[in-house]
Amino acid sequence: MKRLALVVAMVAFAAMSLVAADKTVLKFLYYADSSQAGYADDMASWAKFKADNPDIDLQMEILFDRPYAQKLTAYAAAGTVPDVVFMWPTTNEASSLLQSKKMMKDLKTVLPADFLKNFTAASLSPSAQTSGQLSELPQSFTFTTVMYANVGLLKSLGLAVPKTYADLKALVPKLRVKNVQTVLLPDADKWPAQSCLFSTISGRLLGDAWIDSVLAGKAKFTDKAFVDALAFYGQMYTDGVINISNVQMGYGDGPGLFAAGKAAFIIDGDWRVGAYLTDKSNGKALIDPAKQASDFELLNFVAIPGEKNVNTASAIAGTGLGINKDLTGAKLDAAKRLLMFYYSKDVQTMKLETGAYIPTRTDVTSTKLEPLSQKQIKYYSTVPKTTYVLDGALDPTVFGPLNDGLQGIALGAQTPAEVAALMQKAQDALPKK
Amino acid sequence: MATVVRGKVETNRAYWTFITPAFALYLFVFAFPIILSFVLSVSNYSGGKMFGGDPWTLTGFDQYFKLANDSNFWLALKNNVYIVLISVFGQIPLAFLLAYVIFRKIVRWGEGWQAILYVPAIISVIVLGIMWKMIFASNGLLADIINALDTQTFLASLNGLLAGGFNVTDDFVQKLLAISDPRALTGFANPANDVKELILSMGYTAANLDVFRSDMVNLLAPKWTPDFLSHQDVAMIPILFVTLWVWTGMYIIMFHANMQKIDSQIIEAARIDGASELQVMWRVIVPNLSGVLANAAILCIAGSLNTFALIWAMTAGGPMNITQVLAIYMFQNAFIGVPNFPLANAISVFIVLFSFILIGLTLVVERRYGGRE
Repeated sequence: MKRLALVVAMVAFAAMSLVAADKTVLKFLYYADSSQAGYADDMASWAKFKADNPDIDLQMEILFDRPYAQKLTAYAAAGTVPDVVFMWPTTNEASSLLQSKKMMKDLKTVLPADFLKNFTAASLSPSAQTSGQLSELPQSFTFTTVMYANVGLLKSLGLAVPKTYADLKALVPKLRVKNVQTVLLPDADKWPAQSCLFSTISGRLLGDAWIDSVLAGKAKFTDKAFVDALAFYGQMYTDGVINISNVQMGYGDGPGLFAAGKAAFIIDGDWRVGAYLTDKSNGKALIDPAKQASDFELLNFVAIPGEKNVNTASAIAGTGLGINKDLTGAKLDAAKRLLMFYYSKDVQTMKLETGAYIPTRTDVTSTKLEPLSQKQIKYYSTVPKTTYVLDGALDPTVFGPLNDGLQGIALGAQTPAEVAALMQKAQDALPKK
Repeated sequence: MATVVRGKVETNRAYWTFITPAFALYLFVFAFPIILSFVLSVSNYSGGKMFGGDPWTLTGFDQYFKLANDSNFWLALKNNVYIVLISVFGQIPLAFLLAYVIFRKIVRWGEGWQAILYVPAIISVIVLGIMWKMIFASNGLLADIINALDTQTFLASLNGLLAGGFNVTDDFVQKLLAISDPRALTGFANPANDVKELILSMGYTAANLDVFRSDMVNLLAPKWTPDFLSHQDVAMIPILFVTLWVWTGMYIIMFHANMQKIDSQIIEAARIDGASELQVMWRVIVPNLSGVLANAAILCIAGSLNTFALIWAMTAGGPMNITQVLAIYMFQNAFIGVPNFPLANAISVFIVLFSFILIGLTLVVERRYGGRE
């Protein structure tokens, strides 16, 4: 009897091994925030993909923010990039090697043309990516400076929504008497101040043409105009518009504090809308839809003194999925199926409805958007023109000192001129093109 | 003669049979990574597959020269030296003293104290780092306690001012500004006018003075922000304090265990001969434990130079890299931003060499000045 049971177990094990051997293993490094409202829907969609594709053994590794960037960089450094990864279009820290060493396939040669025609032309532009090819398919076009406003709080204190920097500054003492910060900009992770605020300041005061002239060696970061832009950023701390405590505040801490009314505004990217929406898995929202409708707005950043490019905001081709360039045969086929599932109308509609982003897929619409998502679409109409996000336009060795320097300026430990000099030194050290 | 030779061959064979697996494992686990790290530090390897990927070659000692001119490297090294100093000259003496106090039963419930002091060493340093980060945060526990005290002082002065009645005159505002934190007034172009205007616009009356008090505390009371991190000279203080707190307990256990091995009759004889507790500690215990102290110092040095997790959790080396240490600087060059693997490997080779130098110094000091156990 024992012998029979042993034989049955061995046969079953062998059968399972054969079934497993038939499956194509696909390693997938995915970026998701488990505290974000749409996380459960996102995971449900991947469960569906697995159910619909029993021949694919999808091995997902899910991380968020800094841990994701470090893991992806480590994989790229070791030459063990997973089969499919979530990545950035430029030399943003996490995707630096993937883009600069062209470690991913050109998706224009992989995905069918009749599939790609569903996406906006801007999202398919190879020039938007450092690699000069479609290393990832941007799922959105990302606006990095959105001023989320708690207008309900302002109203309750008898205060008006500011239109200019002077208006914003005037709110500081009136909010401080009620122990409310004016603007939250959690910057312990270094990139938010550069990506979510200074890029827009630079765009408005200097413009993309000026950045291009620096890259061409015809202007310098040490020029007065750029130093003044840095000085304006520093002035926001001196004026109390942004509290110095933000320099030590983690990026993940912002939405909770803002939703709890600890600040009248938070400056963040448009991708952060999803943090405030209803999590369908538990019905909870950081800001409930009724409050989203009545008390919150998504605003363009206030007008700043001396801005040449009025009301512009920094924006960049968004993140998306890319395929390891070494994939062939069944693995490549499986990866293609995964991308076509991810960028399908259904999944992208889910992304839209959960506030993840406004998709670049042109046939995606929904009538089930929460008020904040509707306001996100309205926000885009307030931006007449977009400008560079500096970590997408500058070399990482140049925006690194800027990221550090923005903290230094906020803390009063570095002057704008010192930061500009460090950036120029890094720019001068780059090989001439 | 033949038997002697055969015996020697036998011994040699047994020796190599036993030593080879461990030696091979040692070479593979310790020596190989160090040698590979050195090779990469003098190469132009830029990531990807090491063999079969983009070709790379040896390029010389450029990265070491680059390090020598890199202010971030010197800052990281300085911070590491601080940690070594607080570990060797903070943790060890403190742990020795506490272990001695427990050993000699100078305090009651010595075993209990020992357990309490050891607790931080058994908790994940990441958890401890996050906890202390919250305590030292600008709106954390430390700031709350100090600000609560400051607020009481401000409120007492404000109540004294209000005792004369609530009437927003220029004189009242001047007195209010006089008891305020000057830093709270920096945002006002004309504090006297602006504050008066603000108070009038808020519609305070004698009937809602509690609201007025609360608002003025928010606006004008002294607020202490733990701004260690904005000053390069003091940024490491919270980290050094936590380093001392976390690991001292481990050395208490080590010293206490070794003190118990010392023959109690020697101590009793010293006491009978009139030696004080301090003399017993200095003349009897320290010489007896000099080897243990040297080992503790080696552990401290090695631990201090590869310290990573605690600082990563507390500050991640920021802001502006001012709490950077060598291990974090190496990690950032390898895995954050644009990786520079040769530079990262040069840093790790430096850490190894620096460890050897410090450990060598420790052993020299122990041999010259240490007692014999």
